[in-house]
Amino acid sequence: MIRSWNALEPHLGFLLEGFALTVAACVLAVAGAVVLGALIASLRTARSRAARAVAAVYCDLFRNVPFIVQLFFFFYGLPELGIYIGAFETGVLAMSIAGGAFVADVIRAGILSIEQGVIEAARVFGLGRWQIFSRIVMPNALRVSVRPMGSVLINLVLTSSILSTITVNELTGTAKIVAATTFMPFEVYAVLLVLYAALTYALSLAVAGVHRRLNRGMPEAVA
Amino acid sequence: MRYADFTPYDLVLLAQGLGVTLGLFAATTLIGLALGAALTVLHYYRVPVIGHVVVAVTELLKNSPVLVQLFLVFFGMPAFFQVNMTPVTAALLTVSLNTAAFAFVIFRSGVEAVDRDQIEAARVFGHSRWQILRRIISPQAAAFSVGPLIGLLVNQLQVTSLISVIGVADLTKIGNILNLRTLEPFVVWSVIGLTYYLCAKALAALGGRLERHLRRSVVWQGL
Repeated sequence: MIRSWNALEPHLGFLLEGFALTVAACVLAVAGAVVLGALIASLRTARSRAARAVAAVYCDLFRNVPFIVQLFFFFYGLPELGIYIGAFETGVLAMSIAGGAFVADVIRAGILSIEQGVIEAARVFGLGRWQIFSRIVMPNALRVSVRPMGSVLINLVLTSSILSTITVNELTGTAKIVAATTFMPFEVYAVLLVLYAALTYALSLAVAGVHRRLNRGMPEAVA
Repeated sequence: MRYADFTPYDLVLLAQGLGVTLGLFAATTLIGLALGAALTVLHYYRVPVIGHVVVAVTELLKNSPVLVQLFLVFFGMPAFFQVNMTPVTAALLTVSLNTAAFAFVIFRSGVEAVDRDQIEAARVFGHSRWQILRRIISPQAAAFSVGPLIGLLVNQLQVTSLISVIGVADLTKIGNILNLRTLEPFVVWSVIGLTYYLCAKALAALGGRLERHLRRSVVWQGL
């Protein structure tokens, strides 16, 4: 155990770099997924039938195709279109698009959980459609969907490990290199497993905190 | 002569990849569900230490990337335990355990969803703990679990795409081979993605039928 720790120690800085890249990718992808998800969710609950259909197809497609296939599609496909962006940017883009499909489903459920009476009351008060959407519907929908969204985001963090297959040296990518140079794959990947679990645990704590903060003053749901 | 064009043989290759994917999916599903059910029984009997260990290990498996688990088994175990590991064995082991971890959680909440009064009544009638599990809990828990289980399996089908990274010639690996040979990423990955999509849809439809069959006696009567 001591021996393996001594052998791993010189590589800690390198692993930390990978960890930083994982965090960066996750933060960007989470932001992208939430924005995209909110957009798609509002399309899915829109009045226009065409908008609803487009959004439904989007969710269906990106939820039912493996992420690694989507990632390869963008990674090899975008240069064909003359779009030359780095592997990291491609990864963040793919994660945002795939995550957006899952987030959209969660927010859509949140929107549908709002009582029709609330919207009618807002209409009676003379609020415009955009005002109702931005001040009544979205805040309420987001508050309800924080907790289910948390599990989607945790999944997104775990998905970020797949970026290592398109040459992004995030945590899993650097661990692969360290495992190869030290020839201690078991120790390295075991540590990695625990590290990811700790990361997602911290994230779930943060989500619970946000949920409590957004729902302060609300009666405890009966469940 | 260049071999960059699509040939009719590519279809055979594609079918082979699909076969590997579906075969592995079927095998890991059977093993995973059986193992998940066994763990649930273990948990039901409240075996002192093992129960806690099972919960801890399944939490770790649920909260870490499948890719890292695959690397741990495929690269780590041979180096640490001096055992031979083929890509297919590693894939079977990892995905089965992963399915088992998620199935354990679903089955457990299915068991907990069974009405306490029924169990007390059965105990009053002199049924043993095993008889209660066999005749009262398991049929109802199965009906409760089948919905979440279908969602899980649709997800696990996509998880199998990760085994291409350790060299199993599944559908994604075939896509990789064809992509590198033909340099037609849009065609190749669209076809691969569509194949996965159709499989997921077929699985969901099949599961929906099973769910209706199992729940035919549980009619939701509203609150």
